[in-house]
Amino acid sequence: MSYIKNDDIIQIEHLLFQYQREENKETVTAIDDVSFSVKRGSFTAVIGRNGSGKSTLAKNINALLLPSGGAVYVNGYDTKDEEHLWEIRQSAGMVFQNPDNQLVSSIVEDDVAFGPENLGVEPSEIRRRVDEALKKVNMYQHRKRAPHHLSGGQKQRVAIAGVMAMRPECVILDEPTAMLDPKGRAQVMDIIHQLHEEGITIVLITHFMDEAAQADRIIIMDDGHVVLDGVPKDVFLHGGKIRDLYLDVPFAVEMAEYLRDNGMEIPTDIIDTDTLVTYLSSDAAKISEVSEKSAFKVEQSDTDTAPEKEKTGTIVAEVKNLRHVFNAGLPFESIALNDVSFALEENSFTALIGHTGSGKSTLIQHLNGLLKPTGGSVYINGEDIHGGKEKLRDVRKNVGLVFQYPEYQLFEETVLKDVCYGPLNLGLSQEEAEQKAKRAIELVGLDFEEVKNRSPFALSGGQKRRVAIDGVIAMEPKMLILDEPTAGLDPKSHHDILLMIEKIKKEGGVTILLVSHNMGDAARLADRVLVMDGGRLWMNGTPQEVFSKAEELSEIGLGLPPATEFMYRLKQSGVPVETTALTVQEALADVLRWKRGEL
Amino acid sequence: MIRDITLGQYYPGESAIHRLDPRTKIVGTLLYLISLFVVDSFVGFGIALVFLGLCIKISGVPLKFMLKGLKPIFMIMLFTFVLNMFMTPGEVLVQLGPLKVTMEGIYNAFFMVVRLALLIIGSSLMTLTTKPISLTDGIERLLSPLQKIGVPAHELAMMMSIALRFIPTLLDETDKIMKAQMARGADFESGNMIQRAKSLIPLLVPLFISAFRIAVELAMAMEARCYRGGENRTRLHRMAFGKSDVLGAVIIMIYMAILIALRVIG
Repeated sequence: MSYIKNDDIIQIEHLLFQYQREENKETVTAIDDVSFSVKRGSFTAVIGRNGSGKSTLAKNINALLLPSGGAVYVNGYDTKDEEHLWEIRQSAGMVFQNPDNQLVSSIVEDDVAFGPENLGVEPSEIRRRVDEALKKVNMYQHRKRAPHHLSGGQKQRVAIAGVMAMRPECVILDEPTAMLDPKGRAQVMDIIHQLHEEGITIVLITHFMDEAAQADRIIIMDDGHVVLDGVPKDVFLHGGKIRDLYLDVPFAVEMAEYLRDNGMEIPTDIIDTDTLVTYLSSDAAKISEVSEKSAFKVEQSDTDTAPEKEKTGTIVAEVKNLRHVFNAGLPFESIALNDVSFALEENSFTALIGHTGSGKSTLIQHLNGLLKPTGGSVYINGEDIHGGKEKLRDVRKNVGLVFQYPEYQLFEETVLKDVCYGPLNLGLSQEEAEQKAKRAIELVGLDFEEVKNRSPFALSGGQKRRVAIDGVIAMEPKMLILDEPTAGLDPKSHHDILLMIEKIKKEGGVTILLVSHNMGDAARLADRVLVMDGGRLWMNGTPQEVFSKAEELSEIGLGLPPATEFMYRLKQSGVPVETTALTVQEALADVLRWKRGEL
Repeated sequence: MIRDITLGQYYPGESAIHRLDPRTKIVGTLLYLISLFVVDSFVGFGIALVFLGLCIKISGVPLKFMLKGLKPIFMIMLFTFVLNMFMTPGEVLVQLGPLKVTMEGIYNAFFMVVRLALLIIGSSLMTLTTKPISLTDGIERLLSPLQKIGVPAHELAMMMSIALRFIPTLLDETDKIMKAQMARGADFESGNMIQRAKSLIPLLVPLFISAFRIAVELAMAMEARCYRGGENRTRLHRMAFGKSDVLGAVIIMIYMAILIALRVIG
């Protein structure tokens, strides 16, 4: 096809993409008859759960994958046309999910130069482009640093600069925020908006609906098809359908739906918290006469049921004046923990929050003796854990620690063997170990007979994660520590993992410490919240106590659960409501009480 | 412990050594390494030590940082020392059963250990003061005349620079996997050789899988950024010899000349 410059930078016509699965040579259809075009200068979000075909689609646009049927045109060039391959990749740049695995060079500015160097750009021009791109993503001051010294969000911004230095017209971002903490996510989203304002066409692949909601068009994919396609407010009219696809809707949309169910008129173009707050605090928002059947219809969340094992008041783990210094005596000496003290009660559920680098990971590695304190002590079941080598094995048996992205530690041929690894290390017989493995696998909601002989590497992302967590659960620890167990998962797997944790707690009688960046999860699940900041324990309280300190939390880089945030904004706009709500149901109840004049 | 390796790390700075052309530093370092095998006397090692000491001083890299690089090879150094001390024939000083400590042995052992230490510190100085990317650029440029006889200079340099980029990533990964398996009761430290080797499987398998995943993802990211080999590729940094390179070359030549003279005379 000849070069035709038209309004659409990307045209996808009846795209079909198939590949052969390696194990059984079965043909898999990842994308099935997808057609759409992307206008120049637009901001399109493609959203779908894992395996929906959204990443495959992105790679087809960049000619990293070629269609099995149909065609993809970028700037009028057919991606199958090898002659124009480099023009296509230059004009439709791509940013990938893993910030580490896309940076080529060990110096930031050299990495940004990689693209222009490949294009054969003049050295002086490369210099100009590199500086410009780094300034654009606000990383110019870090241009001489090594990528492995940067945070995830910073690395991802370098990756974006690397694409921008090629002067693309369009940037395709394949889940760029999936592996980032909230701060990193916000920074990357800011950059994306800024590029869009400068006229760059954005295609954002994501599974976070709150990010998709910021685009001017949302395409929802499922099972290789486009299911919904339109401007956000139209797409969100199909809330039920979106939930059927195991995707979330933004908090404001969910809240508005509940309010409508309870007799309030909320315009359908309200899809973000700010607009909803403004609307509610205005006089326009009125509640219709309370009819008997709709009165106070608030669904009770299934998580509010009392735990089976009551807290006994016994202390399982206690930390006293804990201090940890890395590289003591060297120029890069850093105090990771400073005078941290707290105690965890048996059968309690504690959330540990704090921004990246606040000392959370260092802290939890002390609880099972992986790190030795520089000062202070750790007691498990009342005993100092550094009382000899034998003790340490006991500690590892009693305190299970699940690291971030635990699926990266899977190594055995079969699921059963992998889960048995821990119990066998504890000195159990093969038979006993298998029994414990069976119990653990069933506990996390997997079919033991079906998965036991499968390779852990052939499972889906969410299943892999559960099997990896099983490896620790099978050791039947008294206390389970989970370091961001839902990181990088899509909403469905995220939800499954949380249900799993609640089940483990109820059925196993386990004390849980959950490290999380998700304030909503922390508020909903935990009965205590520990807040870390700069190596110190900043606060230790109930979720209500902790999340009532909105301003202070924001100062140390932490947010609020969406429901609390919403109530807080309402209060700020002059509405006389309390800000104690932690879940959408509680927030709804408070808003309804206020609108019915019961306050 | 694996985090202690300084070889391959870069220590940012603006010293005269940092500013030298990478080609000067590569050739200079090679000459220095050769010089360590030329010397065989206390005076010679003294000169080599002082020369390196001066270079470190000029580079502004803290000495502590350089010495940290010796920690991981401490066992090798000790082994070399002991082996040399007992295995060199000559004038017997002490006899412990079948083991004899000889005068020559102590000399040899001492020289070997100093040589090893200087080798490591000398090459670390080069990597610490040269951006890895300039280093590989330098190698690429030094090897490029050989491209005509089929030496893949660009590919080699690219491979090295990627290796350098991912060493810290893989070390982090190793650390993480090791801790994760230790949390599952793994024991990497006790047992006999076979047990220990076996205990590494839960570490090595995930590590290899990680390395392959990185390779696949990186290859794709490089392709997406229009990488197509060394042809028609331009570079951000142009390399040019300056006055300081001439000075550096002269200094290293004088140093070599002195050591060779010492060897010949001594």
